[in-house]
Amino acid sequence: MAEKIKVLYVDDEPENLVGFKASLRLDYQILTAVNIPEAISYLDKDPEIRVIFCDQRMPGKTGVDFFEEIRITHPLPVRIMLTAYTDVESIIDAINKGHIFRYVKKPWIEADIIWAIDEANKFYMANSMLAIKNDELQKAYNELNKFAYSVSHDIRGPLSGILGAINLARDVDDVDEMKEMLFLMEKSVTKLNTYVLSMHDYYSLQRGELKITEIDFNNIMDELKAIYSVNSKINDVAFKVNVKQDEVFFSDKAPLRLILNNLLSNAFKYQDKSSKNKSVEVDIEIKKSEAVIYIKDTGIGILSSHLGEIFNLFFRSNSLEVGSGFGLYNVKNALAKLNGHIEVDSVLHQGTTFKVTIPST
Amino acid sequence: MKAEFSFIIIDDSELDCFVTKKFLERTNKNFSIEIFHNAEYALESISENNTEEGKLPTIILLDLQMPRMNGFKFVEEFEKLSPEIQKNYIIIILTVLSPSRDPKDLYGIFTYRKINSIVEKPLTKEKLNSLLNEVRMGSIK
Repeated sequence: MAEKIKVLYVDDEPENLVGFKASLRLDYQILTAVNIPEAISYLDKDPEIRVIFCDQRMPGKTGVDFFEEIRITHPLPVRIMLTAYTDVESIIDAINKGHIFRYVKKPWIEADIIWAIDEANKFYMANSMLAIKNDELQKAYNELNKFAYSVSHDIRGPLSGILGAINLARDVDDVDEMKEMLFLMEKSVTKLNTYVLSMHDYYSLQRGELKITEIDFNNIMDELKAIYSVNSKINDVAFKVNVKQDEVFFSDKAPLRLILNNLLSNAFKYQDKSSKNKSVEVDIEIKKSEAVIYIKDTGIGILSSHLGEIFNLFFRSNSLEVGSGFGLYNVKNALAKLNGHIEVDSVLHQGTTFKVTIPST
Repeated sequence: MKAEFSFIIIDDSELDCFVTKKFLERTNKNFSIEIFHNAEYALESISENNTEEGKLPTIILLDLQMPRMNGFKFVEEFEKLSPEIQKNYIIIILTVLSPSRDPKDLYGIFTYRKINSIVEKPLTKEKLNSLLNEVRMGSIK
C-alpha cells in the first residue's frame, strides 16, 4: 500500500484515543480528537481523511449529532459509530440521521476495527471512482453536445453550396460554365471528405487499443515526403527532412503518423503565400528511448493569445485558411495515447515550431 | 440600360459566391456584382464610398461564418461607418443555419442592427426572386 489510510477517531476519553492510536498506528495514519470542534477542524484542514470513528456519548453533542452535521458539510469520509451505548433508539438514529456505514461495539477488538476500516475504505474508493466517472461522463456529454452541433454545421456548409450549384445547374447550358462549376463543386466535396476523414481519426483515437510495433522513422518520413512533395513543388515550399535514428523505437504507428501528418499539413497550409522563402523543416532524433521531433515552418504564425487554445476541439485560429477544428485536437489526443507531449513556439508572420516528445513503449 | 440593383457578395466559399453570382446574372444580366472572399476587403471598398448619388441602395449578401472577419464582426464595423455611407446599402444575411437554431434567434442577435433580412443557404431561384420582390416592394429597407 502506497499511502496509509487516514482515520479520524473522536472520543471524549483521552485514554480511549491513546489505546486506539497505539494499536492501529502501524497500519493506518490515526488522527484523534477529544471533542467535536477539534474533529471538525481536522476535517476542514485535511480532505484526505477517509474514515471517521466517533463515540456516541460525549458532552455537548452526541455522535449522532456530529455525524448528522458532517454528513452535509464533509460528505466524503465514511462514518462509523464506535460505542458501548447500545440501546435501539441510538442505533436507529445513527443509521437514519447519521447515515453511518458501520456500528462497532465497545470494548472493541482490533480485528473488528481493521475489518471496518478496510470495508469503509473500499466503500470510499468506490464512491470516489463513481465521482470521477461521473465527471468524465459529464465532460464527454458536453463534448458530444458541442460535437453534434459543430459537425452538423460544418458539414452543412459545403453541402449547401453543392446543393445550390445543383439547383443552378438545371438552367446552365454553357459547357465551360458547367465545367467551372464542377471544378468548384469538386473542391467542396474534397473539403467535406477531408473533414469526414479527420472526424474518423477523432473517433478511432477515442477508442481502440495500442498496436505496438517497431518504428522506423525514416520509413514513415519517406511516406510523408512522397505525399507532401507535390504540395512542396506547387506552392514553392522547401521541404527538408532530417532523421537520426540509431536505436530501436517501439510505438503505435497509426497515432504516430496522425501526429506527423497533421502537423505537416498545417505547416504547409499556413504558409504566407506572398513570402519568398517558404520552408517546412522536420527534425527527428531518437536517443535514450525517446523521440524528439521538431516541425518548423516559415508560415503566418499563431496569435500568442490563441496559443493556449489551439489544441481544443473545434478551435480555429483566425487565419486565412479555414481548418476543420479537428487537427490539433487529434494530435493532442494521439499524444496522450502515446504518453508524449507537445510544445509550441510561434511568432506572428515568421513561423511556428512544434516540438513533440514521445517515449518508446 | 441601367440595372435596378447592384450587389456585393461577401463569402469565403468560392462555390457559394459562384452560385450566387450565377443566380443573380440569370435574373438580370445587367446587375453589377462584386465578389469579396474576405470581409475586410469588402469593408474597405465600402468605406471608400464610391456610389453615385440617387442610385438605388446596393444589396450586400453576407455570409456569417468566415475566417478572419466573420459576418457579425462585419456588421459591427459597418455600423461604425458614416450614415451617408450606410444608407446606400441593404445587408442581407445569406448563411447556413444550424439545424438546432431557430432563424428567429439570429434576428434576435441583430435586433438593433442594420440587418434587413436573413436567407438560408442554399440560395435558389425562388428564394432570390422573393427577396428581390421584397426589396422592390419596399418591405425590405
